[in-house]
Amino acid sequence: MLLLSRFEVSGHSMVPSLLPGDEILVSSIPYLFKSPRLNEIVLLSDPHSKKRMLKRIEQIDGDRLYVKGDNPSDSHDSRHFGWVLRRFIIGKMIYKLS
Amino acid sequence: MVGLFKKLFTLLPHHIAYAHCDIPCGIYDPYYAQVAGHTVLRMTNLILDRKASGGNPPFQERKEIIHDISRFTKVKEEHAEILKHEIRVIWGDYFKEEHIKEYPHLHELVFSIMKLASKARQEIDIETANELLEKVQEFSEIFLKTKGVTPIRVPSLYPTGLDMVVYSK
Repeated sequence: MLLLSRFEVSGHSMVPSLLPGDEILVSSIPYLFKSPRLNEIVLLSDPHSKKRMLKRIEQIDGDRLYVKGDNPSDSHDSRHFGWVLRRFIIGKMIYKLS
Repeated sequence: MVGLFKKLFTLLPHHIAYAHCDIPCGIYDPYYAQVAGHTVLRMTNLILDRKASGGNPPFQERKEIIHDISRFTKVKEEHAEILKHEIRVIWGDYFKEEHIKEYPHLHELVFSIMKLASKARQEIDIETANELLEKVQEFSEIFLKTKGVTPIRVPSLYPTGLDMVVYSK
């Protein structure tokens, strides 16, 4: 669980919302009290590589989420690895520092 | 006040969050598949054009013919495989569902490229090599359209005398 952590964005899949080098704050706390909602940017664990990645929630089906990058022509997301179980969501992006 | 909070937040431990596509990051180009297609066609032509001086050529000439045909065949084999690899990577890694919706025959096109490339390896057939190149050009045009540019065919300047698909903005 992440109380509050600072992350630097690496890569282009969330352009234009997040640029490489942007700093953001991520926390697990919001999802203790409510479920993830559409259009929220989440930090998740890639089901395959286990890397922590940032994506936007595009669809929700029970405890499964369909996530996608804001730059779809340059994003590795649910179109490739499919729906993601809720347990793979680490936290919600709550603030962009830069 | 906001500035103070921001400064406080920068004291938090720093991590990396990946927003990557895949590796290599968005760098795809059907250029190499086209070059390989031209090479397969050129090698097929060279094999067919290599003739003996008569019905029973001397040993030295036979050695030279075997040598040349071996080289042409080796390069034809290699480039047919390069072509298949390049097309597979773009098809598997670059193209996504929304592209398939727009170009529903893409899977069929890739399948036919794979089959033609194998046939071009197995046989010495100009028609197959030409058809293979034509399909790769069609694939290249679809790729470029998904990039929002207009594909055009220009003379390749290769000995095949056929075109390369490039784009104009």
